[in-house]
Amino acid sequence: MAQEQKSQKASAWQAARAVFWSFFGVRKSTDYNRDAVRLTPGQVIAAGLVGAALFIATLVGIVYVVMH
Amino acid sequence: MEATHAHGQDHAHDHGHGHPTGLMRWVTTTNHKDIGTLYLWFSFIMLLSGGTLALLIRAELFEPGMQIMRPEFFNQLTTMHGLIMVFGAIMPAFVGFANWQVPMMIGAPDMAFPRMNNWSFWLLPVAASLLIGSFFVPGGASAGGWTMYAPLFLQGGISNDMTIFAVHILGISSIMGAINIVTTILNLRAPGMTLMKMPLFVWTWLITAYLLIAVMPVLAGAVTMLLTDRHFGTSFFNAAGGGDPVMFQHIFWFFGHPEVYIMILPAFGIISQIIPTFSRKPLFGYASMVYATSSIAILSFMVWAHHMFTVGLPTAAQLFFMYATMLIAIPTGVKVFNWIATMWKGSMTFETPMLFAIAFVCLFTIGGFSGLVLAITPVDIQLQDTYYVVAHFHYVLVSGALFSIFAGVYFWLPKWTGHMYDEKLGKLHFWLSTIFFNVLFFPMHFLGLAGMPRRIPDYALQFADWNKVASIGAFGFGLSQLILLVVVLKCIKGGVKAEGRAWEGADSLEWTHLPSPAPYHTFETPPTVN
Amino acid sequence: MTGQTAQNRTILKKLLLVSVLMFGFGYALIPFYKKLCDVTGISKDKITVSNTQMDPARWVTVEFDANLGAKLPWIFEPQTTSLRIHPGEIKQVLYRVVNLTDRTIVGQAIPSYGPALAGAYFKKIACFCFTQQTLKPHEERLMPVQFVVQNDLPKDVHTITLSYTFYEQAKAGAT
Repeated sequence: MAQEQKSQKASAWQAARAVFWSFFGVRKSTDYNRDAVRLTPGQVIAAGLVGAALFIATLVGIVYVVMH
Repeated sequence: MEATHAHGQDHAHDHGHGHPTGLMRWVTTTNHKDIGTLYLWFSFIMLLSGGTLALLIRAELFEPGMQIMRPEFFNQLTTMHGLIMVFGAIMPAFVGFANWQVPMMIGAPDMAFPRMNNWSFWLLPVAASLLIGSFFVPGGASAGGWTMYAPLFLQGGISNDMTIFAVHILGISSIMGAINIVTTILNLRAPGMTLMKMPLFVWTWLITAYLLIAVMPVLAGAVTMLLTDRHFGTSFFNAAGGGDPVMFQHIFWFFGHPEVYIMILPAFGIISQIIPTFSRKPLFGYASMVYATSSIAILSFMVWAHHMFTVGLPTAAQLFFMYATMLIAIPTGVKVFNWIATMWKGSMTFETPMLFAIAFVCLFTIGGFSGLVLAITPVDIQLQDTYYVVAHFHYVLVSGALFSIFAGVYFWLPKWTGHMYDEKLGKLHFWLSTIFFNVLFFPMHFLGLAGMPRRIPDYALQFADWNKVASIGAFGFGLSQLILLVVVLKCIKGGVKAEGRAWEGADSLEWTHLPSPAPYHTFETPPTVN
Repeated sequence: MTGQTAQNRTILKKLLLVSVLMFGFGYALIPFYKKLCDVTGISKDKITVSNTQMDPARWVTVEFDANLGAKLPWIFEPQTTSLRIHPGEIKQVLYRVVNLTDRTIVGQAIPSYGPALAGAYFKKIACFCFTQQTLKPHEERLMPVQFVVQNDLPKDVHTITLSYTFYEQAKAGAT
């Protein structure tokens, strides 16, 4: 995975946005191509873990509201 | 772009040089194409074995009452049918595709670890012999269901140990295969073949391989715990010793739900190659397809308990898993819409691979919707362990996974053999399969809603009519698969010469850069991808 | 190609490590689940089987009494002398019995109830009075009575006395 030139590293916010769209399963091609060049695997994994934790927390919150 | 086989041709005739011939060629081979072929034939043999068990089941269920077997044997049939189809037919078929296609699609000369590749295949026949051999030991094969639930699996005879051992071997084989595929995809891509340029089939396999590495060890752990509970006095699941049988279900389904996606993500990949080819348009929303696939993979770890709504989960957990399960429908829906959008205004032709792909989209969606119905906890409590569940998972596994395998076989046969398959026979296979598939499984929705439980050899009289219909469909479907055998054998023997780019709309490397049949060694000098 | 092989090996090692960790993770799930349920208490509304026939609004006092018939040389006494219970509730009490002699004695306990009409509503699930009791010389024993007072016990009964009397059985049997 060394071929793509890393022009500049993406910010945490960009990583978060990419992961949000990935949970939804939709992404504009232009954005995607930018992500692919600028996101590092470490960023994606970190953002993915945070995203998964937020996702679980949201669901737990909804469950809490429903049950009380 | 007419077949530009820059370097491939030179190697076309060197297979056999310095290699063992005959049977030993296959035993010792480290060539990804040979191993892919072995995987696919193994899978086909397992499909016929598991199918035979299914036909015995349907023969017994043709009429109410006990006709041809003892109930114990019936339970063995349902158990082994599940294990053989999941671990013997579907999973190896996809690994076979990965072996053949991944190196060619990314411009690699072979898999990253060719010898390990050989081992991962040759473990499979060992495991299969253990599974099938267990029918002949005292007490017969395992009869506790393919999910191997404790406490049933803690009891019983030596066949359960054979099954556990077989699952261990299959797990090791899958993990080795997955490591090989990940390494190949990450390290051996041709220059210019960035991750985002990879064909979607390669993407789905990359994600599937990660899933395999994450969950197969968990299954191995679970069955190891069963084994030590059975023989070494531990009490992980043994209630008499303070263990908890429900714990087994939690661990099993932590593996089991991602396993569902292990069996369907490569199918998504194959379909995503075929639909653009025969629509003569690039895949709509390539990026969103990649993202949807990863999203499905991550979500698949958060929904396992929807398989166990009736074990006495707290209400909060039932709600959580119900919501999480329903949310998986979103990325899956994105995929279905992308396939439809790819076909939209395309100049479509309907060769056999495309027919199977379209049937996949329609029928898999039906299976997806019945899955949504089952995700609703109160409905699931009603339908748990009925034929509705059987209908649901056969719509996703047969018209989903298996149809995509058929589609892939027809799609790539010209590349593998160098000959076009018999289109007439292919279409006959498609129509018979699709019609009989629905005759076989659609009535099971009615049976399930009416309350017929699964895994029983006999049933109440009111279920007789639809069971008869389903059994007729089963024999039709089973026998139709022999047509596939004829098509493949004919295609290997001869037929119309296939061009390098056998399908007009195909644009991945194996079509654009290699002749048909693909030479024994390909891309020893990597191609340049722009 | 050696650089390639080294790179492949690195990935192989990493992925093998992940597999081994995931194998351990399968085992870690067991204490993890137990801890999770303890900490969050999410299993507190787990469906538990409850006795729907119990009448929690009503209290009945049961007194336990023990007697020895025909100068039987035993000690016989209830461990609990009285209990407040709800009708429909299953309870168990223990009686203590000691043989004070040097010979084996076979005894049979006979129950009686006060008021006598309560006997029809007093259901014993397990009782030492169901069979003969054989006590070896100087043997001491704790014997259970498990019972339930039925819901349809007449409203005016607030106290029931359960009284047992032990009689020695056929001396011929014991030497």
